[in-house]
Amino acid sequence: MVKEINVEPVTRLEGHGGLRIVIGDDGKVKNAQFNIASTRFFEKFLEGRYCEHIPRITPRICGICPIPHHLTPTKAVEDAWGVTIPEPARKLRILLQNAKQYSSHALHFYALAAPDFLLGPFADPALRNVVHVISKMPEVGAMALKMMDFGQKLCADIGGKSVHPISAIVGGMKQPMSEASRDKFLAQVNEQVEFTKKTVEIGLKVVEDYWDVVANVGVVPTYYLGMTNNGVHDIYEGDIRIVTPEGKKIDYDVHNYLDVLGEHIPEHSYATHMYYKPAGYPDGIYRSNTLAMINCADKMATPLADGALKAFRDKIGPISHHTFAYHWARLIELVEAIEMVATLLQDPDVVNPDCKTLDVQPREGNGVGMTEAPRGNLLYNIWSDADGICKKANLLVATNHNIAGIEKTLMHVAKQVFEDKVLEGLKLPDPWID
Amino acid sequence: MAVKVAFMQNSDCWGCHQSLLNAHLGLLPVLPALDIVYWPAVVDFKHDSLKARPDGDILVGFVEGSLRTNADVENAKLMRAKCQLIIAFGSCSCYGNVHGLANEWDIEEAIKRKFTQVESITDESPHEPKEHMPGFMRKIVPLDEVISVDAYMAGCPPKPEAILSAVQFLLGQKPQPMADLSFCNDCSLNNESCLLEKYDLCFGPITSIGCTLKCTDNGDPCVGCLGPAKTVSARAEKLKAMTQNIDQLSSGDKKNLHEFLTLFLNVPLMSGFDLAGDILKQVRRTGQPKTALANIPADTGDIYANLMKYLKNNREFIKISNVCDQCDLEIGSKSRMTKVKRDYEGLPNKTDCLIEQGYLCAGPITRAGCGGMCMRVNAPCSGCFGQTAWGVDQAERFADVVTKGFNVALSKEELLAQVKDKLGFMEKFTLATNKNYR
Ligand code: SF4
Ligand code: SF4
Ligand code: SF4
Ligand SMILES: [Fe+2]
Repeated sequence: MVKEINVEPVTRLEGHGGLRIVIGDDGKVKNAQFNIASTRFFEKFLEGRYCEHIPRITPRICGICPIPHHLTPTKAVEDAWGVTIPEPARKLRILLQNAKQYSSHALHFYALAAPDFLLGPFADPALRNVVHVISKMPEVGAMALKMMDFGQKLCADIGGKSVHPISAIVGGMKQPMSEASRDKFLAQVNEQVEFTKKTVEIGLKVVEDYWDVVANVGVVPTYYLGMTNNGVHDIYEGDIRIVTPEGKKIDYDVHNYLDVLGEHIPEHSYATHMYYKPAGYPDGIYRSNTLAMINCADKMATPLADGALKAFRDKIGPISHHTFAYHWARLIELVEAIEMVATLLQDPDVVNPDCKTLDVQPREGNGVGMTEAPRGNLLYNIWSDADGICKKANLLVATNHNIAGIEKTLMHVAKQVFEDKVLEGLKLPDPWID
Repeated sequence: MAVKVAFMQNSDCWGCHQSLLNAHLGLLPVLPALDIVYWPAVVDFKHDSLKARPDGDILVGFVEGSLRTNADVENAKLMRAKCQLIIAFGSCSCYGNVHGLANEWDIEEAIKRKFTQVESITDESPHEPKEHMPGFMRKIVPLDEVISVDAYMAGCPPKPEAILSAVQFLLGQKPQPMADLSFCNDCSLNNESCLLEKYDLCFGPITSIGCTLKCTDNGDPCVGCLGPAKTVSARAEKLKAMTQNIDQLSSGDKKNLHEFLTLFLNVPLMSGFDLAGDILKQVRRTGQPKTALANIPADTGDIYANLMKYLKNNREFIKISNVCDQCDLEIGSKSRMTKVKRDYEGLPNKTDCLIEQGYLCAGPITRAGCGGMCMRVNAPCSGCFGQTAWGVDQAERFADVVTKGFNVALSKEELLAQVKDKLGFMEKFTLATNKNYR
């Protein structure tokens, strides 16, 4: 009998997804689908809007990553109009982007991923959540909350609001940080660095405990899409970098994205499937997000994070296809984020009022902006008319970039689980909490 | 006994939930009081487990998100069946949010752009995905056009404090415990000069004793700061009779009632949390002990129910303040709007009203609740808490309010002629409520 396994909805995921795995009479996995069942047509209703208002609309694409969805279209419009922003504005944006990266990676690790690792994957679903983790490990819970709180408050101070920021404007930033606010965060940042180190300790212990899983489940060779700035890991600006399954790195200017990134419209998902165009679909399916960024980077932008990257490569090699290594990669990025925050808070430019150029004129043309959000790459292409009204827009967001790769991984894992019964032979540690 | 709550996410960004999580440490005292039975973003219960619950099993359901797909509508109906109280959580469910801007086109146009025309698409004959997909609503409508809603919490997102206080309100968590006796026992006017005898709305009979300010000493009525008392005074009968057939309230009474609602009920009216009518009646009918004000004396409940009924029939009673009321920038400033400026032009000074400096700010037509957040970083309001008036031409209204109340050198017509994207500015968050775009 043909068996269909449905998971509806996929929980602890941002977005609206269901999984569907079909297993045939012969016990073979016939199909594995990731059905994203919602979309809201930003690509349509941005038409006719003031280009400079787009960054006030698109943060609503994702309440977890609203900051990159605020900054990316701002960059795209600046690109279309040929605007250069003052250096203090650029630094403020990088600080803002890293504050978001920090709180989001902490949220992901503690609220979305940790419940699986700390309770074990077979725990009672009623308990397998962050609320339970907080009650069982109050110290770790309080630390996690403080980390998210720090990042979110910093976002709110610079962005005006942490969820759906408003302070970036075509030409720069509406205002710098106040000195009082800067001092407040500076006073807390060392504690946050310590929290980060503790989190890395917990994370590495988990990786060690679950090494059998990391090394054997969901090891799927794919392409990777990331962004680097002259080869250095960067989440605010840089070139498209593709890493092939064999580990070859190829860089492209963002303006040539249409030559590099293909979009396939599947039958079974509103989130479309992105792939590396020169390799075709499905061969060119890539993965995005933390592991991709780590695979792309020649080095990290900060010293501690770069050390963490070296440790990762010593253990895994120059390229990792390990799905469970996404968590480890996220920790490396977490370290970079807090180091960037600590460095930039000491930079006088973040309180420099010269953060908005007056030299802004709409012109006809199209512009591309790209950043790396905590959940993957964002690329906005915005067409402006001579008055600065949006003629059309193309948005390639994290969900598009991730979904084909996730589905490919799902198929691989489904075969491992249902055909090779891999779970039966796995060494799993005892849960940390019950 | 923890109270059962469920969170539903429809087509949206998850930001309302992120805002709730942003309360961080503030959440700790509230969490033990909640039995979260559905929250896909955080907790591992599946859709089937929600379906399997008996109707009305859950006390409070938060419904986040726009109704873009047919599945969103099914989810909303499911929540209505399973929850006793439904809160439209955030501007997506209250008003459709920015996604409602798509109502400017037929859905076929939107589908065509996204699934067939987008520049990066490589398929030869791309088309709308149909396999296991729910399909789209022709137009987005607000939640209360599909199911009945008991309370609205506006904002994109609502503020963490507002969410927390609403949750605490619904749980009946009060800042102080209820006193045994009511304020009347402590009132200097508790004789022939009692304010209720003079038909002034005084809430002393049902309010906890223990206040040191004693408004009645100055001849002002008690507005219930200390919350409900365990027992009511004899004068509660009088208050009840007064509230039974109020059809007209003096302006003084209105003010009292307004303060009463804010203080006694702890309802943060200024934060965008609205009750749709008689929430209490529903809570009491279900008799769940830990819920909003459910263990208050019967007379107090009756009085409250009377007031809620009044409010339900007189929605305009609560004068909804607008964002300007909470904005620190000065109206009637030295600046004067002589032409409409675009947001990217120049940089506003930080003292004068943005409109008077020439910028388009939706503050005057946007309901209060956020505390004026955007202006604090020098950015104009874009209207995320929703309108202050509905069913009217928002562009006309904006031009009207601005040309009358602000230092503006333009006529209504001149002003509107300079606004190129009227819908995107005036109805960015609320177009789904506009019946002309259905
Ligand atoms: S109201 Fe705003 S924050 Fe809430 S889900 Fe909708 S878009 Fe996100
Ligand atoms: S119009 Fe805008 S800037 Fe002016 S007072 Fe109102 S909210 Fe403030
Ligand atoms: S100022 Fe306007 S746009 Fe900004 S948060 Fe308040 S209501 Fe929303
Ligand atoms: Fe897209």
